[in-house]
Amino acid sequence: MPKQSRYLIELLTAVGLIVAPFILPYLGFAPNTVNRILVWGLFGIGFDILFGYTGLLSFGQSAFYGTGGFAAAWLLTRAGFPNVLLALIIGMISAAVVGYLVGLIALRRTGIYFAMITVAIAEVFFFVEFNPLSDFTGGENGLPGVPSPSFNLGFTTLHFTDGWSLYQFLAVCYFVGIAIALRIVRSPVGAILSAIRENPLRAQAVGHNIHSYKLTAFVIAAAYAGFAGGLLGVLQAFMPPDAFTFETSGQLVMQTAIGGIGTLFGPLLGAAVWLFLQDFLQSALGLGAAWKLVLGTVFVLLVTFLRRGIIGGLKDLYGLATMRKKPVEATEAESLADFSAAEGVGVVAMVPHKRAGDRSSGPILQVKGLTKRYGGLIANSDIDFTVNHGELRGVIGPNGAGKSTFFKMLTCEIPPTSGKILFEGRDITGKSVTDVCQLGLTKSYQVNQLFTQLTVRQNLTVAVLADVRGKFRLDLFRDPESIPGVKEQVEQTLQLVRLSGRTETRVSDLAYGEKRRLEIGLALATTPSLLLLDEPLAGMSPQERAETVKLLKSISQGRTMIVIDHDMDALFELAERVTVLQEGRVLVEGTPDEIKANPAVQEAYLGGVLE
Amino acid sequence: MSLLEVSGLNAYYADSHILFDVAMRVERNEVVALLGRNGAGKSTTLKSLMGVVTPKSGHVVLDGVDLAGRKSHVIAQAGMQLVPEDRRIFGSLSVEENLVLAGLTAAKKWPLERIYEMFPRLKERRASRGTDLSGGEQQMLAIARALVRDPKIVLLDEPFEGLAPVIVRDLMAACRNLAASGQTIVLVEQNLAATLALAQRVYIINNGHIVHEGPAGEIKAQPEVLQRYLGV
Amino acid sequence: MINWANFVSQLFNGLALGALLALISSGLTIIYGTLGVLNLAHGAMFLLGGYAGYVAFGYTGSFIVAVIAGSLFVAVVGILMERVIIRHFYSRPHEDQLLVTFGLSIVFVELVRLIFGSQSQQVPPPSLFAGITSLGFMFYPTYRLAVVGIIAVALTVLFVVLYRTRIGMIVRAGIEDSIMVDALGINVYRVFMIVFGIGAMAAGFAGIVNAPVVSLTPGIGDDILVQTFVVVVIGGVGSFPGAILGGLIAGEIISITSMFNPGYAYVMLFAAMALVLVLRPYGLLGTRGRE
Repeated sequence: MPKQSRYLIELLTAVGLIVAPFILPYLGFAPNTVNRILVWGLFGIGFDILFGYTGLLSFGQSAFYGTGGFAAAWLLTRAGFPNVLLALIIGMISAAVVGYLVGLIALRRTGIYFAMITVAIAEVFFFVEFNPLSDFTGGENGLPGVPSPSFNLGFTTLHFTDGWSLYQFLAVCYFVGIAIALRIVRSPVGAILSAIRENPLRAQAVGHNIHSYKLTAFVIAAAYAGFAGGLLGVLQAFMPPDAFTFETSGQLVMQTAIGGIGTLFGPLLGAAVWLFLQDFLQSALGLGAAWKLVLGTVFVLLVTFLRRGIIGGLKDLYGLATMRKKPVEATEAESLADFSAAEGVGVVAMVPHKRAGDRSSGPILQVKGLTKRYGGLIANSDIDFTVNHGELRGVIGPNGAGKSTFFKMLTCEIPPTSGKILFEGRDITGKSVTDVCQLGLTKSYQVNQLFTQLTVRQNLTVAVLADVRGKFRLDLFRDPESIPGVKEQVEQTLQLVRLSGRTETRVSDLAYGEKRRLEIGLALATTPSLLLLDEPLAGMSPQERAETVKLLKSISQGRTMIVIDHDMDALFELAERVTVLQEGRVLVEGTPDEIKANPAVQEAYLGGVLE
Repeated sequence: MSLLEVSGLNAYYADSHILFDVAMRVERNEVVALLGRNGAGKSTTLKSLMGVVTPKSGHVVLDGVDLAGRKSHVIAQAGMQLVPEDRRIFGSLSVEENLVLAGLTAAKKWPLERIYEMFPRLKERRASRGTDLSGGEQQMLAIARALVRDPKIVLLDEPFEGLAPVIVRDLMAACRNLAASGQTIVLVEQNLAATLALAQRVYIINNGHIVHEGPAGEIKAQPEVLQRYLGV
Repeated sequence: MINWANFVSQLFNGLALGALLALISSGLTIIYGTLGVLNLAHGAMFLLGGYAGYVAFGYTGSFIVAVIAGSLFVAVVGILMERVIIRHFYSRPHEDQLLVTFGLSIVFVELVRLIFGSQSQQVPPPSLFAGITSLGFMFYPTYRLAVVGIIAVALTVLFVVLYRTRIGMIVRAGIEDSIMVDALGINVYRVFMIVFGIGAMAAGFAGIVNAPVVSLTPGIGDDILVQTFVVVVIGGVGSFPGAILGGLIAGEIISITSMFNPGYAYVMLFAAMALVLVLRPYGLLGTRGRE
């Protein structure tokens, strides 16, 4: 982002907040309504980070809204705590802690299970609030008498009572909330959260501890919810029990979807629409209690037709209005032209950075007795396999040979039934795919596993961030440009895979060959010392194959590689040694010429027809 | 007119272009083989014919009716049946339920007795759940299930893969009988010996392109062709 | 001090509640297993069944007609839902499916609230089962005993349909491999529609059968939805036996805990769910597969 527009959004927000009290009354918004919108908007910022950015749909945010709200309200009413702001912060921290504990359980599953669990959480918290903890929460009566904030500045005291007076306090809170959120979303953590939303499998495989990042997002959402809950009590001078209801969670979800998921401002806009319509439908149109029915129907229609909410729709309109050319999906010919043209440029091969414990000669990988059994089916049986530093090894075998299973065990995607894997002399059997990648062993996939809605540059950045920062770092406020080496590493990888001309293109707009190159690039960006390639030539035209073979040759400098493919010509051109698998076992190993001449191998492929 | 005429077939897996303008024809009562290394596009071809994969372009004309792009159940009702390479029998159903299910929407079908006559092993195991069957028995069931609808054409995807030689022999005998009775078959296999024993004509596919067509007898005399596209 | 009569009474309650949850959860789990869609409007199906039955009862005075009308009405609603809306979401991400079914549940609940108001409605139990039965050492409402029986019958019918009929065979095969079912000439899209209808009907049937036990209010759908989710997580998504086991467990947990402190019932339920998640993430009888 160019320097001058870096804080444009923050600036516009500030301006908007300052100007609002002068404009909104003319649009029919009472100050109390505006204040409510701000509280919902703040509540939704955290939810949007969790759902819009990380992809985790939670119907349980009311649990944290209520927790934070009642913690603050209790301090201010029953416990006689003097400072409103401090009470709100304590409420936020309590909500965050509770969020952490709940997240430990809820995040054990993803997708639908996760959603179900969050629904249950919302209900449980509601019941707990009502009954066992009613002494603290006032049960169905809530906690009345929540004071409004005031600040003693020495020479004067600022009181923020209600209406537009309180608005000033809420507006500042919202601004701070948005500024922090924007910071988080632009940080390395933010980039990784987006990657998790797009392709959690790959985010893990390039070396990120996605569970910890998800938990982080969950806690952030809980914190925002908790603070907003406290504000609700202040706003109403009363902490209502219905903060805890499943309905509250549901309203948050709907408002965010209406406004626009993944925009941070969606919840604010959605709340404005919701509260405005609630008023309008009830009073102006005299619909009475049917307002919610109308809103529900609007929501269903929106989800069906306008998936990205109002903001998303506006963005599309803007795109159409300014006749911005959609990035053209490159044809194969164009992408190949790029590819060949760039060839002449001298590129320094990216040297894998040395990790502690790396050696430079001898075996880099030693596999002993590796076996994988699925019930009665034996996929791999007693495989012994050794690869030396700097080798380019090919692995071939007829169908059912167990090559893919073998690779998956090497990267620790699946655990072996028995056997041992030594990488750089270290026993990696049973480790996780993330840890193994951090140690320098990674794979490029047969079927592209990319972060589809992110750009080429963003894709590679995610991988590089894992390499440079390790598997988990809580650098929520760091400017990614300030991390040394990231930019250079991304540039180097772009050059290696000849994608320097497509950096700002979204993956979904790339040609197939380009996607394949990015696929290899993602694996390369983690600077592996051992790179596995699972059918890198799959689905390619003859021309693309030739170019990819050249690419693979160029990246093999200073790196050990193991390649599985069915294209015999290409593989034999590339590999120095070839291992042949058949029916889960190693059949034979040797140079390409030796393999070609080996009758057992011919038999394996041709089924013994040739006499 | 051939029973099955395929022309200009292009298929993708996500946006990976797998089949490039594949063309083939199958005559009535013929056994046609499709050979190639794995990854060449053999399975994808059969899946495209059956509608399990929707081809991007091309024609699949069965008895004069173009089925390309139609849903699988329509293609099945038109008389095509697939025995997939991972068998895909219904493990939670019994052998007999698998067979009954297959015939539910069939206009005319093989009576169960005829199936059991062809595969006596299945009769012994008729009440067993699919998951309790051995690999060979599952393969038999997969083939039997395809026959229930008395299909015009059966697509066999690597039926002998991963089976012990003894089972392969039994299965081969069953397939030979099937062919002899006039069933039209498209056979995809890597096991060359089995293929050449069954097929009259052979297509070879390499990297998604059809690169060779000819009588099965002739190809035995062309080892360089086999070497080039199938061997190492 | 444990009052034994009270305890046994609660055990029965637990059984009744458990059976109810088992039936409703079976509907949810079958829909999910076959279509891959988690129907957040499932609670609304329960609600609609109760109210539709209430209306039918108002016209005819016959409980049997109410039950039939309630069930059929919900079956039709379910089929329409699948036809008109859900089927467009099969290729969309799970989150979108959750959002749209959630929206639909709001629409249904608000419709009910609009038409019938928020006050509770009563459906009296059929005269055959009215009153109280003496069980020797205690008295127990007759209808509640009958509910256990009725639902047991319904579950048996569901079992028979699933395991002894052709359509059941197709559904079970579809849960396992819907692509292959299609390749065998069976229009699997029609199967989806039928499955949705059956699943919804199970919830609707439960709704009207349960109506005499509780009073009908627009909010009962949400309550039952949460409990259903917990049941499904405990039992295992996509598993019919899992739904039954999970239902009975959940029913008993709620009932027994209520005996000591009603407020803690949900806490205990959640604790049980958390325990299952930690020890057996795929549920007690679930299998690794769909997420």
